[in-house]
Amino acid sequence: MLPGRSRTRPPRVFLRFLARRFVALVFLGLGITLVAFLLTNLVPGDPAAANLGQRAIEDPAAVASFRERYGLDKSLPEQYGIYVWRLAHADLGESQQARLPVTQELGTFIPATAELALLSILIAVVVGVGLGILAAIRQNRLTDHLLRVLSLTGVSMPTFWLALVALYVFFFRLAWLPGTGRLDPQFSEPRHRTGFFTIDALLQGEWATAADAARHLVLPAVVLALYNIGLLTRYTRTAVLEVVNHDYIRAARAKGIPERRVVLRHVLRAALPAVITVIGLAFANVMTGAVLVENIFAWPGIGQYAYRSATTLDLPAIMGVSLFVAVVYIVVNFIVDVLYGVIDPRIRVA
Amino acid sequence: MRTRSKAWKALLAAAALLAVVVAAATAAADSSRAAAGTLVVDKSFDLKTADPQRQFEVTGGIVAHVLYDTLLEFRGSDVATPRPSIATGYKASKDAKTYTFTLRKDVRFSDGTPLTAKDVVFSYRRLINLKGNPSFLLGGVTSIGAKGNYTVVLKSKTPNPALPAIVANASLGIVNSKVVKANGGTDAVGADKTDKAEAFLNRTSAGTGPYVLKSFNTTSRVELTANPRYTGRRKPKFANVVMRNVLAPAQLLSVQRGTNEISIDLSPDQAKPLFGNKNVNVQAVAGPNIWFLFANSNPKISEITSNKRFQNAIRYGLDYSGSVRLAGKGSGRAAGVVPSQFLGALGDSAAIEQNLAKAKAELAASGLKDPEVELEFPSDFTSSGLSFGVIAQKVQADLAKVGIKANLVGKPIATSLANYRAGTEQLGLWLWGPDYPDPNDYLVFLPGQLVGLRAGWAAGSDATLEALGRKAGSTADPAVRGKLFKQLQTQLNQRGPFFPLFQPGQVVAASKNLTGVVYNAQFQIDLSTIGSK
Repeated sequence: MLPGRSRTRPPRVFLRFLARRFVALVFLGLGITLVAFLLTNLVPGDPAAANLGQRAIEDPAAVASFRERYGLDKSLPEQYGIYVWRLAHADLGESQQARLPVTQELGTFIPATAELALLSILIAVVVGVGLGILAAIRQNRLTDHLLRVLSLTGVSMPTFWLALVALYVFFFRLAWLPGTGRLDPQFSEPRHRTGFFTIDALLQGEWATAADAARHLVLPAVVLALYNIGLLTRYTRTAVLEVVNHDYIRAARAKGIPERRVVLRHVLRAALPAVITVIGLAFANVMTGAVLVENIFAWPGIGQYAYRSATTLDLPAIMGVSLFVAVVYIVVNFIVDVLYGVIDPRIRVA
Repeated sequence: MRTRSKAWKALLAAAALLAVVVAAATAAADSSRAAAGTLVVDKSFDLKTADPQRQFEVTGGIVAHVLYDTLLEFRGSDVATPRPSIATGYKASKDAKTYTFTLRKDVRFSDGTPLTAKDVVFSYRRLINLKGNPSFLLGGVTSIGAKGNYTVVLKSKTPNPALPAIVANASLGIVNSKVVKANGGTDAVGADKTDKAEAFLNRTSAGTGPYVLKSFNTTSRVELTANPRYTGRRKPKFANVVMRNVLAPAQLLSVQRGTNEISIDLSPDQAKPLFGNKNVNVQAVAGPNIWFLFANSNPKISEITSNKRFQNAIRYGLDYSGSVRLAGKGSGRAAGVVPSQFLGALGDSAAIEQNLAKAKAELAASGLKDPEVELEFPSDFTSSGLSFGVIAQKVQADLAKVGIKANLVGKPIATSLANYRAGTEQLGLWLWGPDYPDPNDYLVFLPGQLVGLRAGWAAGSDATLEALGRKAGSTADPAVRGKLFKQLQTQLNQRGPFFPLFQPGQVVAASKNLTGVVYNAQFQIDLSTIGSK
C-alpha cells in the first residue's frame, strides 16, 4: 500500500495526535516567554540610557518617569509576572521607541513581512522543487551538474550582497524594477484591511497602486527566495533520488503509466515528507530572517522592527518580536507535523 | 528523449514568463518616473514621534521644523543668530534673566485658528511637564507667562543668554493648544502620565508651519503636504514631501537615479562616487559633532592618566591633521570643544598642533616609565559613517610614537556608554553632539559638569576655569560672550583633560534640478526652502 493511501482513517487517533501537539505548543510558548524575558533583561545595558538622550539621562525626574512608565522600577520576577498576566490578555506592552502598543506595531509590520515572505516562498517552492525534480530525473547529466552548481551558489551567496547587487543591476543600471520601499513616493498607502498592499489596493480598486506594490515586491522576494531555491533544489533532488528506484516506481513504469504521472503522483508524493520539512523551515526562515533584506530594501516589516528594537534596547518590542518568531516556528512545525500525519498515516499512530 | 525535450520546454516557458514579467515591470517603471511635484528625502530614520514636545531626534527635528514654527529661527546655514519667526523679536533684560517675545498677529494654525500667546505658554509648559528628552531645554526657566494675546515672557533664576537659540529648537515648536487639549493633551504638572495627545499628533499635525502631516510611520516613511493656510516667510515650493527610511547604500543609488531626490546620510567615503557626477550636487561640510579624546583626571581610576604631564604628552603627541584626513571629505579640525559654526568657536590657528619632541619631553617629566593605559570606545557605533574603531587605532598609533602604550578596549555602546557615564574609563574616545546651537551647551566640559565628571574632573579642580565658565555662561552681550568662550577654550586646550580632534564631514547629495538645499547644523535641511529648476 502506498503511503497516504489508507481508506480507513482513525479520527480519534488523529484528534489525539492533534491534541498532544497543541498542549505541547502551549507549554513551549510559556517556556519561550521565560527564556526570552530572561535573555532580554540580562543584556548588559540600560534601556533608559538607550532611549533617553544625553541630557535627559542625567535628569533623575526623566529617568524615574521612564522607569515607572515601563515598569523597570519593579523587581525582575514582578516584571515577568506582570508580563505574563498582560500576555494572557493579549497585551504585549508598549514600545519604548514609538510609545505604541507592541501588538499594534506587530499588526503593522507582520503583514508587510508576510506579503513578502509568501511571495518569496511561492517562488522558492515552485522553482526549487521543480529544479530538484529536474535534477533528479536528469541525474549525472549536464542539466543535473548545472543545477547542482546553481543550487550551491544560491545557498552560498550572502543575502545582503545579493540584495545590493540586485538593486544595483535591476534598479540602478537597467531601471527595470523599483528600488526601495513598498510603494513609489507618488503613491499613498492603501487603506489598511489585510496589510498586504497588493490586496488592499485591489480591494479599493486602486489598480495603479496595486501594480506598483507588486513591482516593489519582485526584487526583495526574489532575493529572499534565492537561498531557499538552492536549498529546496538540493533536498528535493536527494528525496526524489531516494524513491525513484523503488520497486513500486519500477512497477508503475512497467505498467506503462506516463512518466509525468509517475513522477508527480508516485515519486513526488513519496518524497514529499522530506520536502515539506524543508519548506516549513524555509518559510520560518523567510518570515523571521528577513532582517538584512528588509533593511536594504527599506521594507517596513518585522525584520526592520527587530533591528530597530535590538539597537535601541526596546525591551517590550524585543519580547514581542521574540514571541512572534517563536510562534512562527511553533506553528510551522505544528503544520508540518499535521501534514506528515495527513500524508503518511503511520506517523499519526507513532 | 521525450523527457529531455519536455524539460527544456518547461525551462523555456519559465524563461518566457520571466521575460514578460520583466517587460511589464519595465513599462510600469517608466510610467512611474513621470510623476513630479513630490520631493523625496532619503534618510536612515531615528524617528520616534511627530509630537514636537516629545521628539528630540535628527529625523524628528527635520519633520517638526516644517510642521511647527518656533518663536525664533535660524536661516540657511547660520546657527549663530536667531531670527524672527512667530515672534517679531525679543528683548532681554540686562541680567539675561528675563526675555520678552512679541508675537506676529497674522499667524494661523493649519486649521485656521489664530495663534496667541496662550498657545506658546501651553506648548512650553507641556514640554517641561512631559519630562521627555527635550524637557531639559527649558530646565532653567522658572516662569512662562503671557501678557495679553501677543506677548510672552520667560524668566529664569540664573542668567540664561542661550534662550534665544533654545527657542529656535524644533522641540519648542508651537502647537494649537485648543486642538491638542481636545485630543488628550495637557500642560499640567504630571503631563508625563496624563498627556495622551501623542497618538493624535502622530496622525495630524497642529502647527503653523509650511507643511502639514499627511502620514507618519516611524520605520518606513513620512508624508507631508503643503499647508494652504501658511502665513510665514517659508512658502513651500513642493506640494508634497516624502521622507523615506533608506540605508545609505540604497540612498547612494536612488539619488543618482532620481529627480527631486535628496540623500542626507552618506558618509564622505560613501559619497565619493558622487563627486563629479553631473546629475548630483554634493555638499560636504563639517557637521556640528565634536569627536574628542579624554584622559581621566581621577587618580582612583588611573594614576597614569590623571598625571598632568602625561595629559600634556597626549595633547602634543596626537596627529590632529591625520585624524581629520581619516574622517573624510568635508571634515574639519576641532580647534576647541565649541563647533566652528557656533558663537565663541576658536579659529584653526588657535588649535593645538602636534609636537612630538614636546610630547616626549612632557612624558619624561611625568616620571612615568613605559606607561600602559586602556583606551575605551564604542566598537559598534558609527557617526557620519565613521567608525570609532578606526579613529581609536589612529590614536593608538599616534601615542605609540610618544612612548605610550594604549590598549584598545572596544565595547558595545550599551556597555561603553555606562562606563563613560560612570567616569570609569582611563582614556575615552567619544563625541558630543549639540543639544542647541549655543556655546553654553559646552560648559558641560568644565570641572564638576556633566562631561567633566565623566573625565574624572571634579568641581574645584580648576577654580580659574570654572569662574571663567560661569562668567561666559551668564553674559548677555553676544559679542562679549563670544570672546569669553574663546578664552575659556584656549585655557581648556592648554590644561584640560580633553583633546578635541575633529568635526566629521556631513554630506548632503541632491538631484541637480533642486535648488535651496542648504545644510544647517541644527535642523539639517529646511524642506520648505527646497525648489526645482
